[in-house]
Amino acid sequence: MSQPTTRSTRRSAVAAHPMISAAIAVLVVADIFFALYTPIYSRITPKLGDFPFFYWYLLIFMPLTSLVLWIVMQLQKRLTPPAGDEGSLR
Amino acid sequence: MSHVNATTFTIVVVLFLLVTGVGFAAARWRRAANMRHLDEWGLGGRGFGTFITWFLLGGDLYTAYTFIAVPALVFGSGSIGFYAVAYTIVVFPIVLIFLPRLWSVSRVHGYITPADFIRGRYGSRGLALASAFTGILALMPYIALQLVGIQAVLSVMGVGTSSSNTFVKDLPLFIAFLVLAIFTYVSGLRAPALIAFVKDTLIYVFVLVAVFYIPTRLGGWGHIFHVTQTHFATVSPVTKQPLGTFLPTAKNVGATRFDFASLALGSAVALFLYPHAITGTLAAKHRSAVKRNMIYLPLYSVLLALIALFGYMAIADPVTAANVKKAGNAQLAVPYLFQHMFPSWFTGIAFAGIIIGALVPAAIMAIAAANLFTRNIFVEFFKQDASPALQTRMSQWASLVVKLGALLFAVELPHTFSINLQLLGGVWILQLGPMLIGGLFTRWFHRWALLAGWFTGMIYGTLCAYNVHNPTTSHWAASSDIVFGHSIYIGLSAVILNLVVAVVLTLLLKAAHVPEGTDETLPHQYTADPDSPAPVPAGVAASVE
Repeated sequence: MSQPTTRSTRRSAVAAHPMISAAIAVLVVADIFFALYTPIYSRITPKLGDFPFFYWYLLIFMPLTSLVLWIVMQLQKRLTPPAGDEGSLR
Repeated sequence: MSHVNATTFTIVVVLFLLVTGVGFAAARWRRAANMRHLDEWGLGGRGFGTFITWFLLGGDLYTAYTFIAVPALVFGSGSIGFYAVAYTIVVFPIVLIFLPRLWSVSRVHGYITPADFIRGRYGSRGLALASAFTGILALMPYIALQLVGIQAVLSVMGVGTSSSNTFVKDLPLFIAFLVLAIFTYVSGLRAPALIAFVKDTLIYVFVLVAVFYIPTRLGGWGHIFHVTQTHFATVSPVTKQPLGTFLPTAKNVGATRFDFASLALGSAVALFLYPHAITGTLAAKHRSAVKRNMIYLPLYSVLLALIALFGYMAIADPVTAANVKKAGNAQLAVPYLFQHMFPSWFTGIAFAGIIIGALVPAAIMAIAAANLFTRNIFVEFFKQDASPALQTRMSQWASLVVKLGALLFAVELPHTFSINLQLLGGVWILQLGPMLIGGLFTRWFHRWALLAGWFTGMIYGTLCAYNVHNPTTSHWAASSDIVFGHSIYIGLSAVILNLVVAVVLTLLLKAAHVPEGTDETLPHQYTADPDSPAPVPAGVAASVE
């Protein structure tokens, strides 16, 4: 298989956009943390309708995760070099 | 054959026949010029877009067993069962970090299995074999549990429970399985991809209807939560502890918050280390299809959360609770709940949804295991010059063998054994984390250090899981263990140990200048998004040496 030579890739893209990279990292880490750190949501109140806090928190978290990951993907698009560059690698 | 409901039974049979037809028709769906290639049978031609991938992965990951086991755990122990909900939340941000990289590098090099990647990355047949072995080992009980899910539904339907002869008793299961085995053999990954459409339609319909309808029959959500909270506070005469927990607690009684979080995190990392999840991913056509699915797949998690709540409904419904108690099997909670709450025709739709929901992941798992066997054991160690056509045929036969093994598992062994093995499967599969996820980002780890870490994690995890006991069970009592005063998911503690061993040995081996093997991948290939079809697999055979 013919291999193109190594060229500047993701690592440089991350270095070129420190703010966007940091924002992505914060979003991903926050999403994981708030889903796993039970002390903040292992409680009955405040209730939403008849649902104790623990249960509606987890239910609402899912569409929220979708939203956060959508934002992450939009940010990632700005991170990578233009599509033509990636596509012409092979 | 006592009191089989004719309406329910007929609807299940009709839907099953429909799915069988779809399964065979799938062989002609999106047909390629050359079908005698493992990319076709084993990965559906690597041509699925975002939409089909969503159905395929949804059908693959949210299995029928999940739909039975999660509410069963919620029914039996309460809030700890909701770890599955937290788990299916965190899995997507975690997976978004590494899965697109695996897709890209696999596409560039034509890797079909995760072990192919390990082989190419580390130039190590031994490490690839270890990962293939772990994958197959973890998949077998998982497939068996899909059958256990079918059995739960069939037994509530009253089908096939009257005879003492194993073969006669499980005849419907045998038939379902035979059909599954044949259409997988014929159509490969195309079959579960197409059937997933039917499965998901059925499941979305019955879950949404159930969630809005059943609470009106049971006096509303307020009543359901009230009854369960009181129920779990009751002290069991056997264990002298509360029956369960309505919320994860801070104290070390029952399921704690730490159990909850570590179980969720461990399972989330494990999910996309499973070969069948990777098979579903590699079948995607574009890198963006993989990424977009991390946004759309949480929709299934909402479904899972609602399904988990069925466990509470089953507690709040006295008839269902009594039925389950009489049968002595919490896994029957959901089937009994539906049977009692719904008219028989709708019960038929729900039951068919669960049965078909078992066939889809079972097919994908069998294909994943078969591909592992073919690529990383048969080709690697026995026939390095195997043609693509031979590899396809080998995989087809291997899928039959794998399914037959799983069937024996489900029928001959006690179900608790399968469940324990599946629990262990999660612990085992996590041990691939350092080599697979680690390998996607760095080549720093030494191949032999990874092998040693894997071995340590496997042994430690297995022994720990075996030794866990509680007042009612002597072994395999839970998936958590006490480490440094905290109750933690064994898979997680084992993989941490695995990582420590890998790091320490890497330092030592590097200092001793032990050969590190050839890496056939290049950095930019981990972000590549090639449009053209993948090249002929850079065989395990052709690449290194």
